[in-house]
Amino acid sequence: MKRSNHPGQVLAYILLGLISILSVFPFYMIFSMGTYKTADLMRGLPLIPSNYFVENVKTALSHNLLGSYANSIMISAAAVVLALITSCGIGYALAKFRFLGKKLFYTLVLIGMMLPTQISVIGYMIEMRTMKLTGTYMSLLCTWIAHPFSAFFMAQFMKTGVPSEMLESARIDGCSEPGILIRIVLPCILPGLATMATLIWLWSWNSYLLPLIAINKPAMYTIPLMVANLAAAYSTDYGAQMCSLALATLPILILFICGSKVFIRGLTAGAIKG
Amino acid sequence: MVSYAIGKKRTLRKVNPWPYIFSAPFLIAFFMFSVYPILFSFQLSAYNWNGISPVRKYVGLKNYIRLFTGDTLFMKALGNSALFVVIIVPLQLVAGVVMAYALFRFEKGRRLFQTMNFLPYITTPVAIGVIFAYMFDWNSGIVNGVLTHLGILKENYAWLHEVWSARMIVILMCLWRCAGYYMTIYLSAMLAVPQEQCEAAEIDGANSRQVFFRIILPSVRNTTVFLMITGLIGCFQLFDEPVQLYSGWSAGVSNVGGPSYSVYTVIWKFYTDAYKANNAIGYASAEAMILFVLIAILSLISFFVSNRKGDEDA
Repeated sequence: MKRSNHPGQVLAYILLGLISILSVFPFYMIFSMGTYKTADLMRGLPLIPSNYFVENVKTALSHNLLGSYANSIMISAAAVVLALITSCGIGYALAKFRFLGKKLFYTLVLIGMMLPTQISVIGYMIEMRTMKLTGTYMSLLCTWIAHPFSAFFMAQFMKTGVPSEMLESARIDGCSEPGILIRIVLPCILPGLATMATLIWLWSWNSYLLPLIAINKPAMYTIPLMVANLAAAYSTDYGAQMCSLALATLPILILFICGSKVFIRGLTAGAIKG
Repeated sequence: MVSYAIGKKRTLRKVNPWPYIFSAPFLIAFFMFSVYPILFSFQLSAYNWNGISPVRKYVGLKNYIRLFTGDTLFMKALGNSALFVVIIVPLQLVAGVVMAYALFRFEKGRRLFQTMNFLPYITTPVAIGVIFAYMFDWNSGIVNGVLTHLGILKENYAWLHEVWSARMIVILMCLWRCAGYYMTIYLSAMLAVPQEQCEAAEIDGANSRQVFFRIILPSVRNTTVFLMITGLIGCFQLFDEPVQLYSGWSAGVSNVGGPSYSVYTVIWKFYTDAYKANNAIGYASAEAMILFVLIAILSLISFFVSNRKGDEDA
């Protein structure tokens, strides 16, 4: 399809360009506003960055921004590891074995994908209290151990991405099943793993309701909780507020931009066919 | 677990334990942390309980009856959520599929567009609420600033204080956040469609609109179903963005639910009842159950309606 001078295509390019600018503009705004002194912020449209950035950063750092970062990184990393371990297991079983109950397991995964997590939150929190996990990060992590979407994704990926003959010959060579999973299946689906890891990282990083209910010590706040409390922390210092917001969101964006090639390749590898 | 090997003669054979061992961790955690809490919530919905006191009072269906007959705010929240679902989900799907198709047709710059448009999806929804609250602020917001500057508005408009403009902002936030995600998923599905199919159609004289409606759209049907169901669920769970819209920057209207509760969603009401205002754990559980049933019915309908030809061979 090479008709690059087609007027429709030019129009599509322009439209996409405009939409992309709209997508990125708010980020530019918060960054730009974060460089202003609050008093100057009210005088006009803060489109060009000003010179108060360092001061604002100092204010932001004094409110445990780094601590929240560390907390969020720790939780998201643990969530990714937990979710991937269980979903690779069941994904392998569903993709490459025939066994009694397979249909049932598959249906459970599909139903699980339709269960909204927020709905079970009351029962879940009381369960956590019974298990004496209230106020610990475990109460956030338990929701990630069984992540149906991830299980489904892994099953799809392994079904198409791993040739069954390879598994057969490994079995004949006497490789154990866990050995096959780790040494043959996982290396075959690295893009899928990377994509799923990114998604779980994002979902866990951004989740708000559960931490809001489960975490009550400011020292344990995750990034969304910290951001939500910014307004209270600097009720009048909008410059510092915007600067913290920029610091809380931008590093993740930059990380994503660096890894986007792998992430998009994983999605495109044909795993999501719903 | 005793099983027959699936063979032509159904010979009794030693059962391979590995698939069960591999599935076990997931299934155990699934039952512990997803299924059990829902059943537990269901049980609690038949009680009057504040979550702390040792006494739970059994009230049967009274919580449900009160929700449907005595709680106008719940009905309002339910209506708001339904409204958001009805407006937002189709908008997201259309925006996603159209943008994806536009990108599908050229390779140059594809990744740049994809990455740029995915950025909102990465951003914490809480932060999006704060950003939009600022942008639509009555006094210092950039939207009013630009519109009055250009002479479109004569004086600043109180976007966040009017029922429909508040709803519009919530819709805009969801669209802004998710369009790029929908686009990315759609695009990956479109790239899996065999190129020859499109090229053959074009040689036969089909224009790009016909290719889109006759070939691309039917081929990505499964993706549409997937995105519709997840979008439906996500939209019914709307909470972070509207809450932040009314608690951050524009502290002047810091209230629950926005102007006359116009953006009060079911989850917001649920959170207020369970953890904020009155610790009505039993009552809030009933609210969650209603939402659960609603989502289950809608997901199942969309699943079966569009999956009649069932092509997964699991």
